[in-house]
Amino acid sequence: MAVAVLAAMLIHAIVTNPAIQWDVIRTYLFDSSITHGLVVTLELTALAMLIGVSGGTLLAIMRLSPNPVLSSTAWFYIWVFRGTPVLVQLLFWNFLGALWAKLSIGVPFGGYLGLSDGGAFWSQDTNKLIPLFVAALLGLGLNEAAYMAEIVRGGIQSVAVGQTEAAHALGMSQSATMRRIILPQAMRVIIPPTGNETISMLKTTSLVSAISLEELLRAGQNIYSRTFQTIPLLIVVSIWYLLMTSILTVVQYYIERHYARGANRVLPPTPLQRLRGLLGRRPKPANGESDVVPGLEGGGHL
Amino acid sequence: MSTPVNDTPPQSAAGAGTPMVKAEAVHKSYGTVPVLKGIDLRVDPGQVVVLVGPSGSGKSTFLRCINHLEKINAGRLWVDGELVGYRQKGDRLYELKDREVAQKRRDIGMVFQHFNLFPHMTALENIVEAPVQVKGESKAAARERARALLDRVGLADKAGSYPSQLSGGQQQRVAIARALAMEPKLMLFDEPTSALDPELVGEVLDVMRGLAEEGMTMIVVTHEMGFAREVGDALVFMDGGVVVEAGHPREVLANPQHERTKLFLSKVL
Repeated sequence: MAVAVLAAMLIHAIVTNPAIQWDVIRTYLFDSSITHGLVVTLELTALAMLIGVSGGTLLAIMRLSPNPVLSSTAWFYIWVFRGTPVLVQLLFWNFLGALWAKLSIGVPFGGYLGLSDGGAFWSQDTNKLIPLFVAALLGLGLNEAAYMAEIVRGGIQSVAVGQTEAAHALGMSQSATMRRIILPQAMRVIIPPTGNETISMLKTTSLVSAISLEELLRAGQNIYSRTFQTIPLLIVVSIWYLLMTSILTVVQYYIERHYARGANRVLPPTPLQRLRGLLGRRPKPANGESDVVPGLEGGGHL
Repeated sequence: MSTPVNDTPPQSAAGAGTPMVKAEAVHKSYGTVPVLKGIDLRVDPGQVVVLVGPSGSGKSTFLRCINHLEKINAGRLWVDGELVGYRQKGDRLYELKDREVAQKRRDIGMVFQHFNLFPHMTALENIVEAPVQVKGESKAAARERARALLDRVGLADKAGSYPSQLSGGQQQRVAIARALAMEPKLMLFDEPTSALDPELVGEVLDVMRGLAEEGMTMIVVTHEMGFAREVGDALVFMDGGVVVEAGHPREVLANPQHERTKLFLSKVL
């Protein structure tokens, strides 16, 4: 009761505070520069996670390899990229042009051999080669790969050794064993933290505003630096972040459920099935996998 | 064995009389701990050989050497006339690449104590996996054969079940069907009934007995002396990494020659 009163007071204080300027929020919620920023944020999140997950899987397999060159390379990468702040890495990629003005492909150490152009076949201005978006993507993605590597490694190591032996005994190659037997089972362990990483990445992309790439936060900042409507625009931005993370949470739930196949005898009911159970309409068992009607009391747990 | 090992040409006895498995002075150690101290063994096609012995005697390790899940440190091991895990040039041995080792394992089925079914696949998918992935068989054909194999081990109605939904005995029968799907010429059984509840042991032994009657070459590590006596063509008693005694199961079981064999049998019979 006391909590309800406090909550009501808080909502009242928010709704009636004129500084929040609800009409401004309504005006800018679907402003074209905000929605453009939103698209950039989503693109960055998706592509950075793509780099993170694939790079992380590669690093994890390298790290577990019996080959000492591969495993120590992976170890070094993870050490560097986890050991420095992602904001610093973003700035690094952005200012790479200050370190090497041109990037070239050519004869190694050609400059010392007295070749013209340092032996380069191909050369490009660093700032042209790495525009803002790519710098942001590299900064976020390569950093994420280091974290994903540890998550994937944990997943791979959670699969019993007997699984590898059984696959090998059937004549399956190393790569087929990893792809068909180990990784699908590791997924159950990998997915939940990966979902968290994705949600976290969605928010971390706001750091990119520091290198003036116009993503969601920067789009809001650009507007309030003109209009001084700081709080309303930060609320606009927050509404979008909150909506996106909520959607991701739901997606994560269904992916986790998919990979629980074989681990649970009866899959827990989905929230929709629970809702229907609550409303008294008992759903049919999903594709005959269970005889137990997944109602509220049916063995599921969240 | 008095013959120097190097004098034996690798593919010497191709054709009639090639043993399915031949071991000469096989040694294996984990670090400095020796596990196998010179195993000599011959298994002919169609034979059922039962390996018995106390735990730590090296019988499971020896079985795992046969399909190169373990590397041997010395000696020679042939399956169907071909060296396991190595290629011989002159008198030097070269280790096979992972791909070549995998290639040779196709023909050797293995059944594990803890079944090791793939838990994310149904019984049918477990059986279909290797023929499709390794032999490139079509999915439709592999499924059809898998159903026939499930029927053969008495589990035709369990095709869509995940391993977690099956009893231990059912899981082990699926595991046998999975191994048979590769149409092996040799089957290795590593304590196939040791992890089962007593009342489930019979259903697995029945399937194995059926296989033996059809002429499959089998090497079985087990503590089931009844099975050894009825189905085995030879019984090999191992202890401390060596073969102590070998012979026809009925003779060895009824009239063991060595003290260690007598002592072991007095405990398990």
